Amino acid sequence: MNAPGDAIVRRIATFGGLLRHAGVEVGPGRVLGAVQALQAIELGQRDQLYWALRCTLVARREQLPVFDAAFAAFWGAEGSLGVPTRPSPRERGEDDAATAETVVQAARRTLGAEEAPDESAEAADRARSTAWSPDERLAELDFAHYGEEELREARAVIARIAGAVPLRRSRRQAPCSAGGTLDARRTMRAAMRTEGHPLERRWRAAKIVPRRLTFLLDVSGSMEPYARACVMFLHAAVRAAPNVEAMTFGTRLTRLTPHFGVRDPERALAQAARAVPDWSGGTRIGESLKAFNDGWGRRGLTRGAVIVIVSDGWERGDTGLLGGEMQRLARMAHKVVWVNPVAGDPDYEPTAGGMAAALPWIDVFLPGHNLRSLQGLADALAAIGDGRRTSRGRVGAL
Amino acid sequence: MRRPVERSAAGAMSVEELTARLAEQSYLADRGLATVLNVAITLRKPLLLEGEAGVGKTQVAKDLAAVLGARLIRLQCYEGIDVAHALYDWNYARQMLYIRTLEAEQSAGREAIGELFGPDFLLRRPLLEAIEHDEAVAPVLLIDEIDRADDEFEAFLLELLSDFQVTIPEIGTIRAVERPTVILTSNRTRELHDAVRRRCLYHWIGHPTLEREIAIVRMRAGDVPDTLAAEAAAFVSRLRTLDLAKAPGVAETIDWVETLASLGDERLESETIDVTLGALLKYHEDIDRVRELDVGELVSAARKAVS
Repeated sequence: MNAPGDAIVRRIATFGGLLRHAGVEVGPGRVLGAVQALQAIELGQRDQLYWALRCTLVARREQLPVFDAAFAAFWGAEGSLGVPTRPSPRERGEDDAATAETVVQAARRTLGAEEAPDESAEAADRARSTAWSPDERLAELDFAHYGEEELREARAVIARIAGAVPLRRSRRQAPCSAGGTLDARRTMRAAMRTEGHPLERRWRAAKIVPRRLTFLLDVSGSMEPYARACVMFLHAAVRAAPNVEAMTFGTRLTRLTPHFGVRDPERALAQAARAVPDWSGGTRIGESLKAFNDGWGRRGLTRGAVIVIVSDGWERGDTGLLGGEMQRLARMAHKVVWVNPVAGDPDYEPTAGGMAAALPWIDVFLPGHNLRSLQGLADALAAIGDGRRTSRGRVGAL
Repeated sequence: MRRPVERSAAGAMSVEELTARLAEQSYLADRGLATVLNVAITLRKPLLLEGEAGVGKTQVAKDLAAVLGARLIRLQCYEGIDVAHALYDWNYARQMLYIRTLEAEQSAGREAIGELFGPDFLLRRPLLEAIEHDEAVAPVLLIDEIDRADDEFEAFLLELLSDFQVTIPEIGTIRAVERPTVILTSNRTRELHDAVRRRCLYHWIGHPTLEREIAIVRMRAGDVPDTLAAEAAAFVSRLRTLDLAKAPGVAETIDWVETLASLGDERLESETIDVTLGALLKYHEDIDRVRELDVGELVSAARKAVS
């Protein structure tokens, strides 16, 4: 087969530029790969061209709609190319219904996810120093009564509190000074220094790593007074450790984690506000949890994780559904923590429809109306170790 | 820029030819998958396959190896997998015995001890085997369920995938004479790092179309009645449009059809469906969900779809 001509190479480079413009990260390496891939196909076969370009220029499933739109626009209409449409409605998801423009926008948002840098070392430092001493007034003041100034003052404290992460024992082992199991490899190497006699034994033990932590924040109208402080907390938590995810829900589920790439909480807050379409709207907790269980739970955000739901439990939808989805969640997760800002009121009883339905599936129930109670959440998270499950339904510090 | 990649003897195939030869192995690849595989073989680039469980990601690697006449080397990933499990380890028990023997012979010189970390005491794990192979046709290396391994292993794999060479401190650098064909699979339980994706070709395998699924079932299931295979495939493809916790994959369809056939069914029957749903659906909620529906109606819809 002939090497591809200059014209086609230029055309593919231009196509790569188009994809880049649409938000798909296509570097020179990928373009080169695409050009090389032409050797494996018959250039006359336009569907082969489609697949060859697709597998070299696309790196994740979320980019497929953008690629398809760009391919159709650049290489001619979909029909005339004989490009197969993707198999079933289930595969296609909702994106296909949207116009190419909104698809491009959505893809950009998804792709923004990769900007978040890894700061695990910093996170570990912060986790170790969660102690704080803000002035008492600020510590006890209900978030609902916060003004701009209080929010600014609380920022550093929130960031410090949010560093607490639950830990778990990893299957991966690391060298340790004593205890654990014999490290045959290192023992043997050490024995080389003593004429092959393993005088000094070396050990290895399971590493302790951060457990996955997923926050689900209610942003419905009734939660509005608490939303800003909560988003600030989530932002700090996501940035403090790897494996932390933040989602919001009201009438629909939105993943916030990608928008927390920026360090400045104010900018993160602004980005979050833009990203969440159902801010201060209604609540359908059950449906949102179902969307989470279906879409993200199966992809590993739930299994073995600590799930923290921040909500007042005002369910406008079906409380039966909420109970069922809480059960599904509780069965997959390591621990389910529910933080209820309204529970800061001494007269509060968790009897409202939604809250009562969810309660049997909650491991730890906490108020979350001020800095003091957030510290309580941090302590609870740090205390979740590798221990056995506690029985559900026990209501924690009310 | 590197010189253009040369086609190996095994890779000199058209997409049609590859499709036909995979079909001989009872694997029905659609046009997309066949093209992508051909690109991967030709460019000697690793291929990352993603898709729901049970759509045939692992199977295609096995059948591709058979088509190429290559050895399949499989590395199953899991949390905590490390160099000692994936690449190489030393045979410590043998090393200790050797030391004792040397002692008994009073011949434990420095050179003898140096031999302890030579090829004789090296345990070759899948990745090293794939790089060090001496066969005429480079093996197919299947790195299965890479999403189950952790970040640290991914970083290690990254090095391997870019150069196909490994350095063993005690022995030196080992480089692949001919690059193996590498297929990675992921069920997306964890997002893979971009750097890994950058080094791989990417392909998403979805559920097959109805016609293709019928053909796959007929080909892969043992001796089953044609009507049963077709109706069952239609039934399953309808189930996938429901909002199930885990939609059945082709693998489940095949299991189910074999179950039905073993009960002596020639066609889809509501009564046997009810008792065999467990071969198809793996969540209690999903089974309940389907039982709540009018199964009789689903059956007649499935029959109509393939008649």
